[in-house]
Amino acid sequence: MSNAVKLALAGEGGQGVQSVAGILVEAANDEGREALYIPNFGVEQRGGVSVAFCQISDERIGSPKFKFADLVIALSDRAVRRTKQYVDENTVFIYDSSVEGVEDDLPQKAKKILAIPALDIAKKELHPRVFNVIVMGAAIAVTKIVDMEQAKSALEKKLGYKFEQDPKLRELNFKALKKGVELVEGKV
Amino acid sequence: MLEKPIGGEKRVFMTGNEVVAWAALAAEADIMYGYPITPQNEVMHYWTRLAPKYGRSFLQTEDEISAGFTTCGGVLSGKRAFTATAGPGNILMQESMTMAEMMRIPTVLVVQQRGGPSTATVIYSQQEVTMTCFGGNGEGLRIVYSTCSHQELYDYTIKAFNVAWKYRFPVFVLGDGYQAKMRESLKMYDPATKGIKMVETQPSLGLAGVPGVDREPSHLRNTYNTEEELCEVVTNLVKEYNKVVPEVVEYETFETEVAEIVLLGHGIVTRAAQAAVKTLREQGIKVGHFRPITIHPFAADELRAICKHAKKLIVIESAQGQFERIVKEAIYGESVPMESYFKPGQGVTGEEIVEYVKKGL
Repeated sequence: MSNAVKLALAGEGGQGVQSVAGILVEAANDEGREALYIPNFGVEQRGGVSVAFCQISDERIGSPKFKFADLVIALSDRAVRRTKQYVDENTVFIYDSSVEGVEDDLPQKAKKILAIPALDIAKKELHPRVFNVIVMGAAIAVTKIVDMEQAKSALEKKLGYKFEQDPKLRELNFKALKKGVELVEGKV
Repeated sequence: MLEKPIGGEKRVFMTGNEVVAWAALAAEADIMYGYPITPQNEVMHYWTRLAPKYGRSFLQTEDEISAGFTTCGGVLSGKRAFTATAGPGNILMQESMTMAEMMRIPTVLVVQQRGGPSTATVIYSQQEVTMTCFGGNGEGLRIVYSTCSHQELYDYTIKAFNVAWKYRFPVFVLGDGYQAKMRESLKMYDPATKGIKMVETQPSLGLAGVPGVDREPSHLRNTYNTEEELCEVVTNLVKEYNKVVPEVVEYETFETEVAEIVLLGHGIVTRAAQAAVKTLREQGIKVGHFRPITIHPFAADELRAICKHAKKLIVIESAQGQFERIVKEAIYGESVPMESYFKPGQGVTGEEIVEYVKKGL
């Protein structure tokens, strides 16, 4: 319908999908592009499936929701079940390989389905807190919605005050971003 | 103290709730009265953060009944006052807003619609149309702007204050949970740089001088003793409202001149309808779109003109026919066939409108 790149990120409340979406659209906006991001959640104070719908385009963006995404990333079993409706034959569907029991719930006609060990790598190689930044790296690598340098400066903008206190955090976040790219590179 | 919240014009990227707070600041609003409810909360949050820097005020009340009445009180004291709410809060504010209609109190109320009935969802709907246009025990003597983007939230929040104070009817900005929570770009500006002058506010109560001696008493009434008296008062109110209608009514059309099928939608749904028109036109299908900006009062004559040549109207809304009722009343007597595409409490995409239109060809 439009040339917008459409992205749905879903996870459990607290997994950080809304933060990732926020940073991504901020980066796109800083590049002078049009971006639209809408968070979607229930009435829970904590927990529950949280979905972030993002669109990035060179023109004004139409309706905030869309029928099918170019990329869906689901980070929990419930998120997989919730978001498979946004998948058609042009959609890349990525889920975390730690998610169990969804074999029968994966979308049928995706362009590509890919399980990535983001949570595992975050825990073992980096830090659980940068799990969502790995996911962000993967999202950028698949969609090319923003330039990697722009993504870094958006991270800097959002977390700069923490980086100031502990420069190691910067390194950790940038490493996570790179790791996310590597996880999907050449696979989609 | 900072003087102007926005100098000149600048491109920003933020949520709609934040936009409303900035627009109210730019419009020189003096005070917001409010009570929290999702998805409107951040209007209050941003206002309370910004207001003290510019010498403006905020009062959190004990509930929405109080927020509505304190807004009326603020206006009566001569302050440019506003409030914001959603869903169940909108219900509670109807009592005060009908008082505003009766006493000609220029209140501004921003509504970010959530799902209904009852608590329903905190996400989105267009189910507060009937209530926002006709809520309360009265005749709907109010002006309701149904916005579709952050730019319009900004533009029409500013405009709401001026229309309210110029015509002295309550004005509503009808947004929704999508507009409240989503982020997109817009241009914020100092109204003065666009030639917009804020209408001066005046107190209705506590005026100087002795009433009846130095000045006319300000006799504000919402209570009457006889049927005859009330009937006369309301008839006159309606007359004055009807005089205002041609000056405030706003709408937009998209390729309706040579359209066989005309999509009707308001608020954020217009974005899906506009996208659908573009796609369908590219495929050679003669589709147009009519969109009221003031959903109440409604641009009835303009829509009637379209009905003369259209072969079919399709009403699209995220509610079960609340907008359609307004349309039907506006074009009563026209013979053009009408279809409906209702998704109560759910968003509408351009893709599905295209699909629906093509199925009916």
